[in-house]
Amino acid sequence: MQRAPHAHFSDETHHVAERPLLLEFEHVTKFYGAVIGINNVTCHVGPGITGLLGANGAGKSTLIKLASGQLRPTQGRVTIGGHDAWSTAAKHHLGYSPDINSFYEEMTGREFVYAMARLHGFSRTEARERTEHVLDEVGMADRAQRRLAGCSHGMRQRIKLAQALVHDPWLLLLDEPLTGIDPGGRREINELLFRLSGQGKTILVSSHILVEIEQLCSSIVMMSRGRLIAAGTLAEVRQMMQHRPQVIQIVAEPSRRVAALLAEHQDVLAVEMRDPGLVIKTRNPLDFFARVGELVCEQGIEVRQIQILDAGADAVFDYLQQGK
Amino acid sequence: MKLVRAWSTLASLSFVRLFWSTSTLMVMLPLAGCLLFVLRRHYNHPEFTQREFREFSEFLIVVFASFVVPVCALAFGTASIGGDREDRTLVFLLVRPIPRWLILLAKFSATLPLVLGIVLGSYWLYCRLAGAVGQVAFDLYLPAITYMTLAYVCLFHLFAVSFRHATIIALVYALFMETLIGNLPGIVKRVAVNYYGRSLLYAAGEADGARMPEGFQPLSFVVATWALAGIAIGGLILACVVFSRREYRDLT
Repeated sequence: MQRAPHAHFSDETHHVAERPLLLEFEHVTKFYGAVIGINNVTCHVGPGITGLLGANGAGKSTLIKLASGQLRPTQGRVTIGGHDAWSTAAKHHLGYSPDINSFYEEMTGREFVYAMARLHGFSRTEARERTEHVLDEVGMADRAQRRLAGCSHGMRQRIKLAQALVHDPWLLLLDEPLTGIDPGGRREINELLFRLSGQGKTILVSSHILVEIEQLCSSIVMMSRGRLIAAGTLAEVRQMMQHRPQVIQIVAEPSRRVAALLAEHQDVLAVEMRDPGLVIKTRNPLDFFARVGELVCEQGIEVRQIQILDAGADAVFDYLQQGK
Repeated sequence: MKLVRAWSTLASLSFVRLFWSTSTLMVMLPLAGCLLFVLRRHYNHPEFTQREFREFSEFLIVVFASFVVPVCALAFGTASIGGDREDRTLVFLLVRPIPRWLILLAKFSATLPLVLGIVLGSYWLYCRLAGAVGQVAFDLYLPAITYMTLAYVCLFHLFAVSFRHATIIALVYALFMETLIGNLPGIVKRVAVNYYGRSLLYAAGEADGARMPEGFQPLSFVVATWALAGIAIGGLILACVVFSRREYRDLT
């Protein structure tokens, strides 16, 4: 997963997870008339929870629509378990929760999920059993008798998730699944997704809330202006950025002396005194940490705390996006 | 077996949703207008007269077959897929393991009996209320009304899969092509379904007193029947092909 900064990822292959591969994009380009939606994206998404990140217009929705077989690539190929994503065969493996807020409003949540189960060809009995099971899984068993028109946004999100799960698919495409769900509900949904991930399912979650992705996902796919700018585990993506200037907070005693010693280091760009400790900007974090180690051993400095302040997904995304 | 179950579920679900839709209310208005007209004209003489048959035929051909039938077919034909598209619920169907052309056929299978039921049911009622002339007219015009309904339903399914705002475009088509162009003299009226339907109707009722307008040059019964069958089958096949291949970018 290593690369030189600003290299074009779209020409490479990114293994978000090892085989068995389930969702594959091979040199996928999608044009909307003269406008390019996705530009030569190649990546594989395997078992586990993968987050799909990107700003508005980055190509997230196009990627999800291609994966769910709503769109066909202009060039390249999108496959689910080897089947073309557009084909009916691929739909057996696919559970899709769209970001739209539209339903058969006249139905109850239970009726809607049951109808979707029946559309997968299950008998009445099996469809009913699956509906009850999945409603229980998403925490809607006691509220699914309410008409969808009268359901809150959070309840509708859960029903959307239930209809995506009702046929027990291998691949789940969830477009903004946690929007409108309260913190307690989020925890429950996250736990459910972790459970499903533990069963070996492949889950691709699109979200603009980066903290959510960080908490939920083992891998990430980052899009910007139709291009894939990074893919891999969060650790792998961070590793790509070892030469990125980082802001590090260090609490050590005596702080003035530590500041003076660190300021002498060639890779330290700025040192700022704060309470508590110091905030240091370095162009080479690995060398910087090595230097801190030396200071501890040689100068007898007591380090109480070291924290990278900009290592979150937000910062990673901003950096990669700027690079592109 | 699973596919059959899924397909029949979709067909029955679509039927129920269409039946309880605003389309049903929409078609009730012209149907009620026709009912009032029939009641007011008091066709219900106990004996058959050619004059009364001619008048009743005019009502059936000019008002019912040329206006009410296309409106009914339009209301449900475009709503079957178009309703899901406008409500943005079509995506829930497209991600199910049912081939797209079968999704369209399920929608069509839900729409056709509903439209036929409404059209032929109201046709039966008007003929029943019209007494002796109504009884004669019912048998004579039933095949033509059925073929026209079938052709319109297929045609409006093609509209539904092809256009974003299919109902509006179909309305424009019905008013412009069917009403205006369909009544023009010469060969240009052959673009209207209405022309083939009226050819059938006049051919069926002419012997009993139905009078076609001056300048109307009907096709033979056989040619008009084949033309309507061709529009129906061709329209449905084309709709299946378009729906199978088309990307609907506005769903989510």
